[in-house]
Amino acid sequence: MTATATVAAPAPGATRRRPARPRLLFLLSAVVAVVLALPLAFLIIEAVQYANQSHGLETLRGLVLRNLTAELLWNTLVLTVAVTLGCAVIGTLAAWVVERTDLPARRVWAVLFVLPVAVPDFAVAFGWHSVFPAIGGFSGSVLIMTLAVYPLVYLPVAASLRNADPAQEEVARSLGTGPVATFWRVTVGEARLAILGGCLLVALVLLAEYGAFEILGYRTFTTEIFTEFNVGYNTPATCALSLVLVSLALVVVVGERFAQGRGRVSRVGPMAARPATRHRLGPATAPVLAGCALLVGLALGVPAAAVVHWLVLGGAAVWSWAVASAAFHTAAYSAGAGLLATAMALPVALLSVRHPGRAQMVLERSTYLVLATPGVVIALALTYFSERDLASFGYLTAWMLIFAYAVMFFPLALVAVRTSLAQAPVALEEVGRSLGRSRLEVLGRVTLPLVGPGLAAAFSLVFLEAVTELTATLVLVPNGSQTLTTGFWMAQTNAQYPEAAPYVAVMVAIAAVPSYVLGRWFDRLPQREPVAA
Amino acid sequence: MTTLTVTGVHKSFGAEAVLRGVDLVVPPGSLTAILGPSGSGKTTLLRIAAGFERADAGTVAIGDEVVDDPDHYVPPDRRHLGYVPQEGSLFPHLTVEKNITFGLPRRQRRSAAVTELIEMVGLAGLGRRYPHQLSGGQQQRVALARALAIGPRLVLLDEPFSSLDAGLRASVRADVLAVLRAAGTTALLVTHDQDEALSAADLVAVIGEGRIRQLDTPERLYAAPEGPETARFVGDANLVVGRFAAGSVTTALGSLVLTEPPPAGAEGRPATVLVRPEQLELARVPAEGALPAEVVEFEYYGHDAVIRVRPEGALPVLVARTAGGDVWAPGTRIGISARGPVVAWARPDPPPADPGTGTTRT
Repeated sequence: MTATATVAAPAPGATRRRPARPRLLFLLSAVVAVVLALPLAFLIIEAVQYANQSHGLETLRGLVLRNLTAELLWNTLVLTVAVTLGCAVIGTLAAWVVERTDLPARRVWAVLFVLPVAVPDFAVAFGWHSVFPAIGGFSGSVLIMTLAVYPLVYLPVAASLRNADPAQEEVARSLGTGPVATFWRVTVGEARLAILGGCLLVALVLLAEYGAFEILGYRTFTTEIFTEFNVGYNTPATCALSLVLVSLALVVVVGERFAQGRGRVSRVGPMAARPATRHRLGPATAPVLAGCALLVGLALGVPAAAVVHWLVLGGAAVWSWAVASAAFHTAAYSAGAGLLATAMALPVALLSVRHPGRAQMVLERSTYLVLATPGVVIALALTYFSERDLASFGYLTAWMLIFAYAVMFFPLALVAVRTSLAQAPVALEEVGRSLGRSRLEVLGRVTLPLVGPGLAAAFSLVFLEAVTELTATLVLVPNGSQTLTTGFWMAQTNAQYPEAAPYVAVMVAIAAVPSYVLGRWFDRLPQREPVAA
Repeated sequence: MTTLTVTGVHKSFGAEAVLRGVDLVVPPGSLTAILGPSGSGKTTLLRIAAGFERADAGTVAIGDEVVDDPDHYVPPDRRHLGYVPQEGSLFPHLTVEKNITFGLPRRQRRSAAVTELIEMVGLAGLGRRYPHQLSGGQQQRVALARALAIGPRLVLLDEPFSSLDAGLRASVRADVLAVLRAAGTTALLVTHDQDEALSAADLVAVIGEGRIRQLDTPERLYAAPEGPETARFVGDANLVVGRFAAGSVTTALGSLVLTEPPPAGAEGRPATVLVRPEQLELARVPAEGALPAEVVEFEYYGHDAVIRVRPEGALPVLVARTAGGDVWAPGTRIGISARGPVVAWARPDPPPADPGTGTTRT
């Protein structure tokens, strides 16, 4: 039976009537999908237009097939593989130690391990590089990016371990499997989807990262695209490089989907009713604690100390009016992006949760294409398009920046909105209607109160990401204004480290608020599940 | 006290026809159960009555008001029906009190009637709790109170007890039905549990293949089902071949009296005979005319016991039920006979060369 909340107005004839709302929803979702595909479309149009010019195709082919491309490809791939592996190992071990052992002060470690996710990668790189200028190149980049992004693996794996059925490990032990083999075959085996998902995010972040690699002097596709754009305004070169970069990201996204589809974890019976028994660390407690302290010290301690160091060195003088102005602009643009992305996610999420079907699924999946489009590509595509085809309409306005943010972070909003809609099953609306309340009243008294916190979470997620976004902001920052990231970047590029530090401090402070909101929301989710199921 | 009248209702989802001409009259003040296996369309029928789905064809009327036909459609919020869904579906963000008063105009939300209602469903003192702080049974009672609060013309219950565990189900069911009867509301209960339907309802409508197969009192339904399928669905059934005689039917278990006279001209024609397990009599010392048999399985329940016996010859296993106490060890040789009156249906085809007995346990 289909779960349709509404029934259409009487239609002539006694044939099957389709509810009216899905059609509107479908249309809105299709519009969103098209909007999300625009940057990629612009890029391809740009490339095709160029290829159609005389000698255009040869030039483009030459650009793609030159030695530089091979070098960048090698740089990018080696780094991505090294950091992703590092994050998988560190993130999984940290999650296991916190969730499955009797490590002292687990709750504190759980918070400390996640915190680096609120610190932008370029700030970590800045912290390290400004204090230890020798850190850089391949090894420096691997170290710093691993420290900056391992929480992307830690978070899903910790959640998966928390929800896993402890009986499975017990069964494995009873079947004669040793503790190490059990960890490998059962614990990691069950968490592998979470690990894979985390690794996908890590790889995509690495492909799109600009700031940290620029600071550390490591050349990847993204830094090269940026340089070509900034230095030579070399359209064909940036186009060619962007196409290769998007292809790389697509391979990652598709590969992960494929791996996930084959490795579905099935669960028989209800969710784990009791927490897992924790492994006793015993004599290993001290070394494990030392390892945790080292990780937190390197990932959080060094960057934080560096920022404090420069703040102390700079004194009151560095807290200029420019910082306040940048903070205001950042907050305004990020809030706009949060609103727009959440609004765009609503119809797509509604359609996929309330009216599941093949066409709806394809539509929803297509929006994940954005995942494979790095911010710099989105920004450049919008720039070229507005300049060449719209007579610079919208270029370097707040609207275009907000739009770019909303497109970039749409997948985050979609995930949160989907989760929140699952909190408000159709049955509740039906009960509301059966109690004599109008559709509008039910929306206000049932659906919105239930979905509201999740919408706030979607907004916060996008806001958080937009506050710390550097790459696209550098390209699209509106005329005459600075954001926290561009302000920081200007100072940092000129080696004015004390002047750069306040921007980072304010950025982290602003990011703390939505992080708190998000934490509260995720904490409340499971509590509701039995009721709303 | 309102009648629900469903006439010729059809409903398909895509190519799949779920309801194919349902006719049903729920008399005022009655508790009527719709009994059917999963996928039989019983929930769809309820949702059409509630207004969450529209019928493709046919008419639904509440009292004198037509709420759904090809030209009219009254949306759920104007049908004034109480609806109790499967999991209760309490609003998780509202307290018990606010859940119950959800459908009331603002002025009436603090009235004494509401307090009375909370007490009536046995939840006094729990008004400030949130749904997740209640047990499953309490949640169902809140859901019922919420439906009754608006003074509905008719209460629709969609398998409201199936999500409760077995121990709780019987007591919550008894409470809920007592409240419904006290309120005197017409109620329509959807269920797939024949014990629930037979024990709780005044009338039971058996639904199958998109139609109402039979609407009858529980006693009539059990004793005189309209056909072998329905017979199997409402309880354990031994279906035995036989042959119509004058006012009786001849079987391997002897000549059995019929509840109703056989159809005209049926004498001598083959029949399928329904013998309920409690109509079989077992004897350790076979009486004259009893069918010799052997006990193959013995399930002891305390209050009664179920015994499976294999009659001599090529006949399949029969199910018998006896009052508790006696133990019938497998392997014991006994004699079986049957008590009438029984129901028999004419068999469309002449019986095969080897007439057997068929038995089914649901």
